Amino acid sequence: MKAVEFKNISKSFGNCIANEDISFGIEKNSVHCILGENGAGKSTLMKMLFGIYKPDNGVIRVFDKEVSFTSPHDAIDVKIGMVHQHFMLIDDFTVLENVILGNELTKGIKIDFRETKKLLNELIDKYNLGLNTDKKISEISISEQQKVEILKLLFRDSEILIFDEPTAVLSPIEVKEFFKIIDEFKSNGKTIILITHKLNEVKEISDKVSVLRRGKLVYEQVNDRKLDIETLSRTIVGEAALITLIKSEEKEHLKDNDEEVLSLKNIHYVRNKVKVLDELNLQLRKGEIHGICGVEGNGQNEIVDIITGLQKDYTGEVLKKVKKISLVPDDRIKKGMIKEFTIGENIFLKDEEKNIITKSALQKISQKIKDDYDVRLGDINSSLSSLSGGNQQKVIVAREIELDNAVLIFSHPTRGVDINATLFIHSKIIDERNKGKSILLISSDLDELVSLSDRLSVLDNGKIVKTFEPGELNVPDKSEISLEMDIETSKPLYEQIGKLMIGITQ
Amino acid sequence: MSIKTKINLISVSLSLAVTLVIVSLLLLFINQNPAEIFTIIFNEVFTSGYGIGQTLFKATPLIICGCGLAICFHASLFNIGAEGQLNAGSFIIAIVALKFSFLPFPLLLLLCIVCGFIVSGIFGLIPAYIKVKKGVNEVITTIMFNFIILALVNYFLLEFFAVKATMRTEKIAETDMLFKLSDYIPFFNGSSLNAAFLIAILVSILTYVLIYKTKFGYRLRAVGFNETASRYIGLKTDKIILIAFFLGAGITSLVGINFVFGYKGFYELGFSNNVGFTAIAVALLAKNNPIGVIFSSLLFAVLDYGGLSVNQLVPKEIMLVVQGIIILAILSIDRLVNNYYEMKN
Repeated sequence: MKAVEFKNISKSFGNCIANEDISFGIEKNSVHCILGENGAGKSTLMKMLFGIYKPDNGVIRVFDKEVSFTSPHDAIDVKIGMVHQHFMLIDDFTVLENVILGNELTKGIKIDFRETKKLLNELIDKYNLGLNTDKKISEISISEQQKVEILKLLFRDSEILIFDEPTAVLSPIEVKEFFKIIDEFKSNGKTIILITHKLNEVKEISDKVSVLRRGKLVYEQVNDRKLDIETLSRTIVGEAALITLIKSEEKEHLKDNDEEVLSLKNIHYVRNKVKVLDELNLQLRKGEIHGICGVEGNGQNEIVDIITGLQKDYTGEVLKKVKKISLVPDDRIKKGMIKEFTIGENIFLKDEEKNIITKSALQKISQKIKDDYDVRLGDINSSLSSLSGGNQQKVIVAREIELDNAVLIFSHPTRGVDINATLFIHSKIIDERNKGKSILLISSDLDELVSLSDRLSVLDNGKIVKTFEPGELNVPDKSEISLEMDIETSKPLYEQIGKLMIGITQ
Repeated sequence: MSIKTKINLISVSLSLAVTLVIVSLLLLFINQNPAEIFTIIFNEVFTSGYGIGQTLFKATPLIICGCGLAICFHASLFNIGAEGQLNAGSFIIAIVALKFSFLPFPLLLLLCIVCGFIVSGIFGLIPAYIKVKKGVNEVITTIMFNFIILALVNYFLLEFFAVKATMRTEKIAETDMLFKLSDYIPFFNGSSLNAAFLIAILVSILTYVLIYKTKFGYRLRAVGFNETASRYIGLKTDKIILIAFFLGAGITSLVGINFVFGYKGFYELGFSNNVGFTAIAVALLAKNNPIGVIFSSLLFAVLDYGGLSVNQLVPKEIMLVVQGIIILAILSIDRLVNNYYEMKN
């Protein structure tokens, strides 16, 4: 039986065709992955399934019944649930309050908190979510917040669960945990739809894959555990040849290189009586890419804030050999850009020289960045909000690189960014290193870290627990692009790093 | 014309149309003929040079104050304290004008402008400082400062400066007054319209350039759109907020130039007649665009002056109702128009 069936679905916004004649089915009790670049039409399709948009043409069937949603409310009624990329949680509410919002169990006129709590704890135990229902959202980590979203769906008894890039914000260990939860769902008869960019994950967890490109369904494959990643990636990006990213091999000079451009010594930082950074020592040497991996929320953002001077309430020493540092922040929408501004205006924000700026000068900047960084947009006068995530990220990367600072910090530079943009950003990072710039790379994507870093530090509980020196990161065939990296051969290293990240030292 | 200006124009005209309909109904409700009322207003405001002059005169303080507020609003700072800020500045302007009356006129005017600007600016700076340092919402502090400032001015005026048995200061010398436009353009036929109107237009143009053309303006708007991002981009957001409040509040003091130097020649308690609050509506209606502020000020001035002319037929509260309806209409219709355009695209 099909849980969902799309028949000849089309949807366009103005002149832009988001979905064109898409037909495919999603089997009940399966894990179905939907792949595609940013702007390929995945989200649009899912938003139609969740009642946010209405299709222009075509039919959606849910459990063999034709449906026509006018709002998410209708979708929820037929037991469809969705976890959005940006969580829809109220920070000042507790886990419990967030979960029941809109579906409150009542006893007379009062909310029956005791019964609700019992129910929720049963669900938490059943699916191993490990949540405390009394904690406020503002007190829990991103991965826990995601679990709250999941709990919401379970509480509403959803049968079809849609996840929009669920692993983008998770560390490798958390991804494993997440997959276990998904498996548990499957064994409980639920249907799971995953939107994702990460091909390795698709290979691991999906039963079936559908690939969208430019609004059309271009590829469908049942995953018989032999799903070929190369074929997949080619269908995703289309004819555009994959850029081969070869990391230059002249790394020998880095081994004895001890010219430090940035150094953090014995940094302590306490927030709300919780030690966030604990005797942290970190050195960035000239001309290296220094990767930092760790489970989200172990002090990564605080390190960035302290280095850039946004956070001053710490003890310890920060030695900077440079005055200015470029920063590509972890959350582009919140921290990286003014989405109401055009490219030129966003670049101009960091300009120190000009006091008055004309429209034509702004257009010139926009055009230059558009050409040099392959930013895809129709009208250079349009604001960044009309760009896809990957293109927005390119603009931010462009701005920071164009400043020509000797030290650059990249925090999750390719989170939620499609394959082409990811490769482009990676090649830019390597270019900068080859120019002698020093780069601090913070990420939760191990592939990215291992393939780019010269030196890699593992962060756990606000402390660097191990640093892999140049040469220690030798994964066979490292010159290959990260996408095609052989999972088998890199396994031991990954396992070692993974263990360090959760505090297991051999 | 960019899409955005087009959307703005459409939503503003729609709002005005809706307001017109609602007001007509209201007039019918109190047994007046809307057509007749509107005709009287139109005749009074537009058919004589005096009427036009008076309307422009009424618009002057609104333009000034609206531009000051637009600066704050662009940084997403909701300054409700203009009424207090402008009174502080205007009071100082009158005092300085009296105490330094020995100075030659241009110098005296300049000194008054600078002193008024600084005093109003400082009263804007204090709530901004509290916001930046302690995170206290500026809406609350600016409202409170209205009370504080008006009480202080009241005290100092009555205790030290007021002419006996009045609520005003002494008059400045006739030779120190700004010229009336009707002195040069007979068309205005003795209306109170004075050189301060030209200052207001200049303020509006300068504010426009500041907000849309300068680096500071870009940064100001960036902070307004997304303060966190601005901080991470490396902008000194605290400094920008402080400057915005200082400038915004400082500009409102020029209202005092219009009244003291251009109209009465003295500071009088309650002279501002809630301009500081009406200007909030003026700035909102203009979408915080200083050039737009000129036009929205004119509209409010027409209502104000025209309202006087129908005072016998229609209670003047009706005009307040009209102002309120315009704001509600613009806020709600703006969303509708925007949504419509988003759907279309």
